[in-house]
Amino acid sequence: MIIELREFTRVEGNGKAEIVIEDGEVKDVRLKIIEGPRFFELLTLGRHYYDVPDLEARICAICYLSHSVASVLGIERAFGVEVPEEIALIRELGLIGELLESHALHLYLLVAPDVFGYPDAIRMATKHGELVKEGLALKGFGNRIRVMVGGREIHGINVKPGGFGRYPTVEELERVETESEALLRLARRAVRLFTQLDPYGAQAKHFVATDGYLWGEKLVSDEEGEFHYTERIEERSLVYSFAKQSRYKGEAFFVGALPRLLLKSEMLTPRAKRLFEEHRGKLETGYVSYNNLAQAIELVYSLERANEIAKTLLDRGIEGENIPVEPREGEGIGYVEAPRGVLIHHYRIDGSGNIAYSNIITPTALNHAMMEASLLEEARKLYGEADERAMIGRLEETVRAFDPCISCSVHLVKL
Amino acid sequence: MMDKLKLGVFELTDCGGCALNMLFLYEKLFDLLEFYEITEFHMATSLSEGNHYDVALVTGTVSTQRDLNLLKEARNHSEYLIALGTCATHGSVQASVELPIREKLKAVYGDDGNPMRALDSKPVVEYVAVDFALPGCPYDKNEVYQVLMDIAKGIEPVRKDYPVCLECKLNEYECVLVKKGLPCLGPITYGGCNAVCVRSGLGCIGCRGPLPGEVNPAGEYEILKELSYDDEYIVRKFKTFARWEP
Repeated sequence: MIIELREFTRVEGNGKAEIVIEDGEVKDVRLKIIEGPRFFELLTLGRHYYDVPDLEARICAICYLSHSVASVLGIERAFGVEVPEEIALIRELGLIGELLESHALHLYLLVAPDVFGYPDAIRMATKHGELVKEGLALKGFGNRIRVMVGGREIHGINVKPGGFGRYPTVEELERVETESEALLRLARRAVRLFTQLDPYGAQAKHFVATDGYLWGEKLVSDEEGEFHYTERIEERSLVYSFAKQSRYKGEAFFVGALPRLLLKSEMLTPRAKRLFEEHRGKLETGYVSYNNLAQAIELVYSLERANEIAKTLLDRGIEGENIPVEPREGEGIGYVEAPRGVLIHHYRIDGSGNIAYSNIITPTALNHAMMEASLLEEARKLYGEADERAMIGRLEETVRAFDPCISCSVHLVKL
Repeated sequence: MMDKLKLGVFELTDCGGCALNMLFLYEKLFDLLEFYEITEFHMATSLSEGNHYDVALVTGTVSTQRDLNLLKEARNHSEYLIALGTCATHGSVQASVELPIREKLKAVYGDDGNPMRALDSKPVVEYVAVDFALPGCPYDKNEVYQVLMDIAKGIEPVRKDYPVCLECKLNEYECVLVKKGLPCLGPITYGGCNAVCVRSGLGCIGCRGPLPGEVNPAGEYEILKELSYDDEYIVRKFKTFARWEP
């Protein structure tokens, strides 16, 4: 017998799951990504590098800036271009804005209704209006940073190889400094709220992240030093899903807020670090549901870090100079931490600056096997115990904990 | 109090941005909810209780059999259907890969089969009649707000009829095509984004598709040729978000 779950709600994109029951037991779970394929690697093939980050941004609306930055990093590495601290800091600020926007959307509008027992945030707002407003305030701030760095709320084109179309102004940075300070109180409240969630889903055995907090030169895992994705991560096609599945040394692994905290806690800002230490015991169990708590702690991190970056840029002043980019034949990989985990953009570029090879692996694709493992674990626990509605509800929450972005997962390709 | 209009948001294959952009209306979303009741919107709610919609917003391209079924369901059960965003109105980026579906799938998934029934990505407007088409990748959220408010008040929403260039002039942005020689599609692109890319000092990438009517893509083509962009580059640029006929 196969129990087919309806399409997931309160996630980005279209996906569903099937539970396979044999002899009264849960035998298997299949996570089906039914969002149509979007062929981004084919789209960028043969295109001039300068236009590519704008196109790649269209992979995902929630984390378009992560895609633009990963794309720009891949291109710059292929050309051997290094940018100065000012440009790096502004990019980081953009990614911080994206983290705030995306985590606030996920925690307050998509997950919080589960905590309070409502079908959505709009209906939850009748009784918990303050909380919804707090979420929207954090999200709005994140989006203002995205407009400032990325050019607009969704699919901006301001992030370019070698710099930006337009640089932030002093007034804008001053606003970031004040607002980040003021919003910290709300983020700390979010941490208290999401500590209440039960542990569910599987306990991850392997964690993978980039070597820096929001981007890196390489990847790192809990059991070894730095590596390139090509050395450890394998992808394979599935007959039941438009998304491919990735494995780390043959096994399911976890990318996202929880892996970031566990692997890189020494890079956290002071208050975020204290909160991490306070909840370390819980987080180290590795239950995927604690990804929600980890995201709440990252809200605190993001606000503190946004404040630091704004201060640094205001102290040193903005020069607003782009680095000249000369195309040459080369290969480069951009590793970025999108809000929901590691994002990889890998390009080979020819002598005239056109893309000759492109491979993109998104966090949802990296987590695909881990999501199935979590659904299997949870279905085994609940099948026959809970009624079917309750079981399906919890399975949906389990997938939601990954903050999956289904649209982005459907164009991973090896050419 | 009058009955609220039933609003459905349907997502076909896309980046999720056009649905997400509705949530970016913030307090204006609550203003809309004075007139509308959301009965289908899977990104935002676990409820799905509609079988009739006064207004249906459809985002994304038809890229699978599932998308096509969902689109037909939305059309058959709605009074007023809006194709929302450039995927729905012109196909946007995913429709610009001009290989047959079989070859595309082979390049990505490595076999000849099509078990999930993928189709060549096409805009919503190629399959069903729509009552209003609002492009943009993403569309301007204030524009959709205005359109929904107009409908709620019984006014037929008005289509804009000017290119992005006009919005540059109104904002007094420097012309990046003439002054910097950047490839800017502003002169032939349907306005309504408030020239957001030129605000960053960069060229319009044409994400709202061609302005219907008097637009002159041949003239734009000549200007870009004079700026020494090659043919293939220009044609690709024209075809990225919408399939222009230069």
